[in-house]
Amino acid sequence: MTYRSVVLVLTLAAAAGIAAFALASAAAPKSTGAPAADAHGWAVPRTAWGDPDFQGVWRYEAVIALERPARFAGREFLTDAEIAQTERVEQDQEAKRLDGVEGEAVGRQSVAASPIRGNEYNSFWQDHGRPRRVYKQTSLITDPRDGRIPYTPDARQAEARAAARYGVGPYESYLDPDTGERCLTDGVTGMMWQGPNGGHNQIVQSPGYVTILHEEYRDRRIIPVDGRAHSNVRQWFGDSVGRWEGDTLVVDTTNFLDKTHYEWASTWTRTSETLHLVERFRRVDADTLEYRITAEDPATFVRPWTAVIPISRLQDGTKIYEYACHEGNYAMPNLLSGARAEAKKAAPVRRSLGSEGGSR
Amino acid sequence: MRSCLTVLFAVLGIAIAAPAPAHHAFAAEFDAKKPIKLRGTIAKMEWINPHTWIHIDVKQPNGKVERWMIEGGPPNALYRRGFTRDSLPLGIEIVVEGFRAKDGSMRGNGRDLTFPDGRKLFLGSSGTGAPVDGKDGKDR
Repeated sequence: MTYRSVVLVLTLAAAAGIAAFALASAAAPKSTGAPAADAHGWAVPRTAWGDPDFQGVWRYEAVIALERPARFAGREFLTDAEIAQTERVEQDQEAKRLDGVEGEAVGRQSVAASPIRGNEYNSFWQDHGRPRRVYKQTSLITDPRDGRIPYTPDARQAEARAAARYGVGPYESYLDPDTGERCLTDGVTGMMWQGPNGGHNQIVQSPGYVTILHEEYRDRRIIPVDGRAHSNVRQWFGDSVGRWEGDTLVVDTTNFLDKTHYEWASTWTRTSETLHLVERFRRVDADTLEYRITAEDPATFVRPWTAVIPISRLQDGTKIYEYACHEGNYAMPNLLSGARAEAKKAAPVRRSLGSEGGSR
Repeated sequence: MRSCLTVLFAVLGIAIAAPAPAHHAFAAEFDAKKPIKLRGTIAKMEWINPHTWIHIDVKQPNGKVERWMIEGGPPNALYRRGFTRDSLPLGIEIVVEGFRAKDGSMRGNGRDLTFPDGRKLFLGSSGTGAPVDGKDGKDR
């Protein structure tokens, strides 16, 4: 079987999976536990010690905005025609990628027409792997019904500030870039489904524990699933305790360390001390993990919000690689020197007037 | 077809979305108003995280050689696409298009990377070789 055939089969498989997941999502199963087997005879696999088995490497491959775009206002699902169109675009892009027509592949426009944001790298530099999967949802956020993050007014302003300064600065010191640019982390909130430089997640289970290794930043979580209570130690990733509700793994996380004075690329990924995060992992078919996340934090949101995120299982044998981010983070000196060069260009008059006093 | 797709992207709002939030913001490091196109020979390949860097020697019209550093994708992504340590041997000639560093140094990001005869690197399925498609002219 040629690679192209494999891609076609995967595409068709993805298309077939759409309806199943959309139905599963639409049913909004708050209940836990799944039937012993679905219509196709598939049942949630179990570990040797009887827990639902999530082990393997997973990656978010869908094309769904976190917040519902304005053009979909009032609509939770794409129409059949929109789904078909989106699938055609995805397949066309994949064909272009395989044919070497890089400019249009993975949705990036040409250099000439570049608005640059989102057009920095073509698919040569980024691993999209297989064609992205198309689902029915118009946003990952399913609650509130408008599909938007229910920010407090202050948090909304913080989000606007973060968006305005991303890539722009000011960059006076190494503390100014966002936590990801500093090779620290993009946060636990998006860990399972973000990571353009390495969005793979490997789940390993042992009796009483679920461990998740995320490739980018090599973030990892060792989650006890043994009925213990939260500890009182505050950490960047908080304190997670898990429990099984039927076939659903529920992970409850509190005791986050407040680093909100750091810059984060997205405000919703910040973790204030009052954040309470509940994640629900549930396998809905052999290749799809339904990852449901609910964030509650009066410091940032006026009410809790929930996103339902389909995550794909990658083939057996898929490896996670190292991501020694500080090994060669040339971006840090480069962006600081870039900012210095821009400041020099912007302030020649000040220097000529000898008004450089009051150095930082 | 391309304009049709552009319309589709606009209508559906897919693919051309907000920039991915990590690892670093392009605009902090590179200048979108300074596109570069360099032809040079590979002098050094750094397989490092979070991004690879390719060092190339670019011969100027006056005979002087400039050493440029080009930022590439993360090593894990390149490896998954079939890129190995032997894929860009020292001394071979490549053409890089991208954008120059904001500080004006001889650094840039590499957006497109081709051999001088137009072959793209490591596209197509493994074992078939990268196609010579000649289609990229419209994309510049």
